[in-house]
Amino acid sequence: MVKLIGALLVLVSASMVGWQISRSYAKRPVQLRALLVALQMLETEIVYGLTPLQRAFVKVGQRVQKEIGNIFLSAAELLEQGGALSAEESLQKAILRHGAQTALRKQERDVLASLSQVLGSSDREDQQKHLRLAVTHLRGLEEEARAEQNKYEKMYKSLGFLGGLLVVILMF
Amino acid sequence: MMDKVDKEGSSMQEIMAILPASVRSIMTTLPSAVLEVLEEIRLRQNQPLEIRYGQQTSYVTPAGQITANARQGWIFTQEHVVKLLNQVSQHSLYALEEELKRGYITVVGGHRIGIAGKVVLERGEVKGIRDVTSFNVRIAREKKGVAQKVMPYLFEKGNLQNTLVISPPMCGKTTLLRDIARQVSYGSEWSSSRKVGIVDERSELAGCLQGVPQRDVGPRTDVLDACPKAIGMMMLIRSMSPDALIVDEIGRPEDGDAVWEAIHAGVAVICSAHGSDVGEVARRPMLGKLIHHGAFTRYIVLSRARGVGTIQGIYDSSLNPVRKEQPAWSS
Repeated sequence: MVKLIGALLVLVSASMVGWQISRSYAKRPVQLRALLVALQMLETEIVYGLTPLQRAFVKVGQRVQKEIGNIFLSAAELLEQGGALSAEESLQKAILRHGAQTALRKQERDVLASLSQVLGSSDREDQQKHLRLAVTHLRGLEEEARAEQNKYEKMYKSLGFLGGLLVVILMF
Repeated sequence: MMDKVDKEGSSMQEIMAILPASVRSIMTTLPSAVLEVLEEIRLRQNQPLEIRYGQQTSYVTPAGQITANARQGWIFTQEHVVKLLNQVSQHSLYALEEELKRGYITVVGGHRIGIAGKVVLERGEVKGIRDVTSFNVRIAREKKGVAQKVMPYLFEKGNLQNTLVISPPMCGKTTLLRDIARQVSYGSEWSSSRKVGIVDERSELAGCLQGVPQRDVGPRTDVLDACPKAIGMMMLIRSMSPDALIVDEIGRPEDGDAVWEAIHAGVAVICSAHGSDVGEVARRPMLGKLIHHGAFTRYIVLSRARGVGTIQGIYDSSLNPVRKEQPAWSS
């Protein structure tokens, strides 16, 4: 009886681990999409609305998915504090602070970081160019993420379950 | 008096808030006697920090001392340029395109920062300034009550007269216009309160920030901010039916037409022009025409003879000194 319960526990936890890993594969394209939407909104705010960066960050941050939005909200907060930090520093800090809670990888963070270097420091046309460049970059990464999702999401789910099953069989 | 001190303090605070921390810490160590009369802070890349106060100019040392020796001055570097631009533009240079085209930026409190640097052209027109290297921070001081002395001369039988304020630069012309606007809008012993329209092409009169006047221009005042004067005057007449129109620094031919139009639309126009006396201004083509046709019935000439805002004389259309109008309630 005890053995049976133990086997069941192993099976459940192994499937959970598999499910957890597969979920991060599913999350990444969703968050990448949110980031794309955020950058496009930022483009509208900057190019057409001429909204100051801090307010643009707040507006965008409130409207997109929470994990991504938090990065922008936190950058806006840092920008507001006495104005000692530049736009670049605030965005980088925000990425450091909230990046870990997202499924974003280093590549995406690098795109954001290089965008942060020019954000707010040139005229409209230039801003638009850089924002578009970042968007194209992220589109490529999004496709990649979707391909990975298709490949690995199911695999890790079944791998977890099957791995657990293997351990159970070996135990008996 | 207390009120005035508070005002002065707050305008200094507004200026301090936009300066980068390094400049701010030096500026705050300046003697308060200097800060009180500070007019301009001039910052040029790789050059010493220069200030203009009262009637004099000096450099400032890193320790916050005033010096006449440029070598001892605190040097404003490229890093500070970037910081100041960030601060002034709120990290959003793209939002200042129009301002960079005109060459100056208006900040909270109506203070004006003139800029110079490398000009970028597009099809022969100035598109903006890139690589900004020089800043001229002009501190706008609101002096309530400066129009008190001229108000009695601006009315004839209770009617507000078309007035031209003539003054060389930095003699308090804008300050006087603003206070006239305020007094006409609030009403005084010479007239009941009236609707005032201000066309504030350079955002100096009302010092608008996002359309809201930062200076007290009165409760019945409508401000058309950053609008070209000639178009603005026509717009206001059609849309806001003002009793008085106030504009700063008219000079272009189309401004003259608009003033002419406004006067004949039954609106009192109070405007200003650069010059040192009526004769000099009358030699300018557009203003000369207006003056010869008797568009203005009052001329106020300002100078710096006894400090900023000295009233040199007030004349009527035939250039005779004007007599004071009696307060409305006594006639």
